[in-house]
Amino acid sequence: MKQTDAVIRFEHISMQFPGVLANDDVSLEIRRGEVFALIGENGAGKSTLMNILYGIQTPTAGSVYIKGVRVEEYDPKIVIGQGVGMVHQHFMLVPSFTVAQNIVMSREPRKHKIFFDNAAAEASVRALEEEYGLVVPESVPVEDISVGLQQRVEILKALYRGAEILILDEPTAVLTPQETDELFAVIRRIVQEKAMTVIIITHKLDEVMAISDRVGVMRKGKLVGVHETKDVDARKLASMMVGRPVLFDELERTGLVGDPALRVSNLQVCDHRGLPAVRNLSLELRAGEILGIAAIEGNGQSELIEAITGLTPVKSGRVEVLGKDVTGQDPGEIRAAGLAHVPEDRLSTGISAAATVAENLLTGKQREPRFNRFGFHQNRAAVRRYAEEVYERYDIRGAGVDGLAGDMSGGNMQKLVIAREFGFDTPVLIVSQPTRGVDVGAIEFIHSRIMEKRNQGAAILLSSADLDEVFRLSDRIITLYEGEITGSFRAGEISKEEIGLYMTGSKRQGGTAQ
Amino acid sequence: MSEFEKILSTVFSVGTLQQMLRSATPVALAAIGGSMTEHAGIMNIGMDGMILMGAFFGVLGSFLAHTALAGVGLALLMGVLVGMFFALLVVRYKSDEFIIGCALNTFAVGLTSYLSRSYFGTTGTKGNPALPALHLPFLNKIPILGPMLNDQSLFVYLTWLIMLLAWLFVYKTPYGFWLRASGEKPDTLRTAGISPKRMKWIASILCGVLCALAGAHLSLGHLNGTFAENMSNSRGYIAFACVIFAAANPAKAYLAALMFGFFEAIGLRLQGYVSADLTNIIPYVITIIMMVYVVVRKQQRKKKAAPASA
Amino acid sequence: MIKQKINVKYLISLGVSVLLAFLVGAVILLCTGHSPLEAYGAMFSGAFSASRHIGDVLEYAMVLGICGLACDLGSRVGIFNVGGEGQLLLGAIAAAQVGAALNGVSAWIVIPLAALAAIAAAALFALIPGVLKVKLKVNEVITTIMLNTVAASLCQYLAKGPWKSSNKNLIAATEQLNVRYWFGGLMRGSNLSTAIFAAAIIAFLVWYVMQKTTIGYEMKLTGQNPRFARFSGMRIDRKIIVCMAISGAMCGLVGMFRVYGAEHLYRSSVSNDYYFEGLMVAMIARYQPLATILLSLFFAVLKIGAEGLQQVGVPNQIYLIIQTVIIFFMAAQGGFLEALTQRRDLKQILKAGKGAK
Repeated sequence: MKQTDAVIRFEHISMQFPGVLANDDVSLEIRRGEVFALIGENGAGKSTLMNILYGIQTPTAGSVYIKGVRVEEYDPKIVIGQGVGMVHQHFMLVPSFTVAQNIVMSREPRKHKIFFDNAAAEASVRALEEEYGLVVPESVPVEDISVGLQQRVEILKALYRGAEILILDEPTAVLTPQETDELFAVIRRIVQEKAMTVIIITHKLDEVMAISDRVGVMRKGKLVGVHETKDVDARKLASMMVGRPVLFDELERTGLVGDPALRVSNLQVCDHRGLPAVRNLSLELRAGEILGIAAIEGNGQSELIEAITGLTPVKSGRVEVLGKDVTGQDPGEIRAAGLAHVPEDRLSTGISAAATVAENLLTGKQREPRFNRFGFHQNRAAVRRYAEEVYERYDIRGAGVDGLAGDMSGGNMQKLVIAREFGFDTPVLIVSQPTRGVDVGAIEFIHSRIMEKRNQGAAILLSSADLDEVFRLSDRIITLYEGEITGSFRAGEISKEEIGLYMTGSKRQGGTAQ
Repeated sequence: MSEFEKILSTVFSVGTLQQMLRSATPVALAAIGGSMTEHAGIMNIGMDGMILMGAFFGVLGSFLAHTALAGVGLALLMGVLVGMFFALLVVRYKSDEFIIGCALNTFAVGLTSYLSRSYFGTTGTKGNPALPALHLPFLNKIPILGPMLNDQSLFVYLTWLIMLLAWLFVYKTPYGFWLRASGEKPDTLRTAGISPKRMKWIASILCGVLCALAGAHLSLGHLNGTFAENMSNSRGYIAFACVIFAAANPAKAYLAALMFGFFEAIGLRLQGYVSADLTNIIPYVITIIMMVYVVVRKQQRKKKAAPASA
Repeated sequence: MIKQKINVKYLISLGVSVLLAFLVGAVILLCTGHSPLEAYGAMFSGAFSASRHIGDVLEYAMVLGICGLACDLGSRVGIFNVGGEGQLLLGAIAAAQVGAALNGVSAWIVIPLAALAAIAAAALFALIPGVLKVKLKVNEVITTIMLNTVAASLCQYLAKGPWKSSNKNLIAATEQLNVRYWFGGLMRGSNLSTAIFAAAIIAFLVWYVMQKTTIGYEMKLTGQNPRFARFSGMRIDRKIIVCMAISGAMCGLVGMFRVYGAEHLYRSSVSNDYYFEGLMVAMIARYQPLATILLSLFFAVLKIGAEGLQQVGVPNQIYLIIQTVIIFFMAAQGGFLEALTQRRDLKQILKAGKGAK
């Protein structure tokens, strides 16, 4: 590669966090005027590498060159000055400030040297808008505009700071397909017309194929390959990302489909901002089957599951567990009706990090007579015996049942949650993101446990961002788009490529899906 | 009816208003300081201790150097130190701000009482060189307002200036934007290349200084060179209530302090009719109602906004 | 929880903080011209030299302990009761007034009624911030601080006005209780009364429920991660409100103990920010009930011992300084050690990085 081409050069970057080698001897060059996609699974080290480039973190070893100049001090202020801008996955905007105030932050136009000049700020934002064709409402507080617009504000903020190199961290995770298209149009425009360089971090392969010129793949902290996008296909990238053939062995399916166990009718749910997230949704789940939900993040699957399990209020409609109406009941009552739940975010919802493993395994069973003496005195010996037995059976590894749950690795924490929830032996199981951030060995283990439950006659509702997982486990698949079911399929009836069209709303089955 | 009129005329007399201004000033100074830490995302309930330290070291300085200005100087110096100490624990070592605030209040009681007894004996001290009141003859020509504003301690006027400066600082300068961002969303500031911790340090020190000023005013201005144990008398908590009431806006915090001052003043003046203890309660209840109102309105706005944007 | 281990790290940090605090105290004593050795000696003998001192130590430990436990109880479910001072005063005045109003009635009726009145007044008052927090998410720290002043002013008003004592020498106090209602004194000349037995029972119950029962386990999870607790089917709102009410009731009872055991009428000296001192003890104890009780004894020794300082001419407030400096050290320690280890880690990493090259 020609020296002059490289606008960014990483040389032997290593980053050691306590217990984790997040970047392992990464060397990479980014060329001027290209769209470079950096892909990898969660925890592969993409964000760490970009945080180093942006000066938020100092690498343990190695160096970074920006436009040929070695970075001596890792400080965002200096890096920004050299023309690097970053749009973080979680937006860095002050909600109560206006769009213009957010954009000019740290480089405010001033009156009389000390006063903030709001008029000048809005004027310079308008000038930027015209230059790049990105329209935003300058004087509206950021908390009152949509997520798509907020992202646009982030991009303008980077441009205002004079960015020539723009890093976008998972930019489409929160966007609707239309917003994604608009974002890609913006990226193409700034690259072609303004000769900017864009680095996009993602794990969505179709987007890599659509927007990038070159692609780098990271796995477990290492950069495992850099290719021209036109030379590779999604399949090849996927296997590079996971470091194995994507397909697992076929799981054994036995047993018959039984009676309906969970019925959702005409359900409407709002998200935390009060906006409709699930629109008039109906579905039926039978004993002995796995119903997979395929949807891009933010299309109502989280709200659907939270409404079924009682964590979020239902606006209208009905939820029945084993024929019993549980609409609007609290999670305890719904569980008692025969449901258990592996939540999507195990750290915030699935465990108490400050409690021990044994205490976490006990939750939900704590009032059973075997764990109580006289009905109120906790029988610690029985709790311990039970916890050790489950710990063993689910092959949880860590500091033992007396260790803190928060100190466990992601995979073992997830095993803990699954051990507890599957231990309730309920007829209905809601399983959300069962293997997110979990290592390969644990994935295999968790999948076979889910299948075992199905074969024993449990009705399982599965939601996962990992399409392979949905395809591997489900008997039936529904696609959700903006809170509505856009398609319903038997396993093997549809390909991953085609289901993507339903997930993005570009195709839908006629009438209400069932 | 005439009884009622008498009450009314007492409530709205010049004397009441003058008293209101006098009572409000130390609280207002502390509340303006508290607005700074509140904006920086620090819940500072240690203001009472900060005021008490200011009050004591103000008198001590005045006693040792025989001039009230030296007292103010010493109080300010201690204010900077206390603010830095607070920031060291809360910002640098990430201690719970609530624990530190609580402990700081008690620490201040302990330290000032201990030192006061060491220097002045158990009864405290009186009659040290104090700050003079300002008499501006032309003011008296204006009815009501004139006498109300006249013959006040220098600090009463100084507080207006400080309030104005603080308001300009918070809402009209880039530094104020950074200060607010450091409390509302520190990462935003960090990724913009500005240290949110530095803003929190600055806020803590400003709060320490303003509380010290409040204390110095209390002992050197309001009470003419007197120090009595625990003389801050929960004013720090009142200031905290003002901050909450005003949503950390320095100008509104000043108005809130006036409200507290007003109820204290009518409490003193209506002693024949109603207990001052009862009138004291009113501003606290108003503050709680205010908090509930803010929360409820936020939730309602959310609900209203939802169908509109759907 | 499965196996209660004594936390060695905690004990070391506590020990170091106490030592450093006494060191700071010694420096201040030296600066003001006192001999630290003489002063600390006077403190020791102030606490233990006479049985009435020991009685006072126990009485004050009771006040600190129950107040501290009340704070523990709230913090266990994730609500911070800073309003104990007001609840204590309300409980005290309610109990005092019941005793004064029912003068002449049998003690067997008056004392339970007074206890009930104290509990009811304080618990209801504690419910306000509890309900506001659970239903509207209004910050309980702020509301309880405001309500403290409301309660103190209200009690002051009642003691000066409607419930004022007929004794003209008392400015703000209720009627003195009939001697028949007084809790029996246990050590001559001290404030210690039979109330300490009731306090011991309360302390045991709170400790037992928090540490040994299934309900205590649920409370703990509720405080640690309310979302998780709700997710697993616990009724967290009810738990928080009930715990807040009980926490308030405990403070109210302390108020009653102070009135019936020591003061024999309501006046503001019933509590002199005692709840805040109890709260600080609870903080130092990291909200662990057993540690709270033990540390209450320690701080009661300090406080009562400090009274003995006056005999050697040292102001007793040195006690407050030592107590708060312990808190400063304990609170800062986590962050301080973190900063140290980070620096060490970084150094090691840098060394390793250089070595590899």
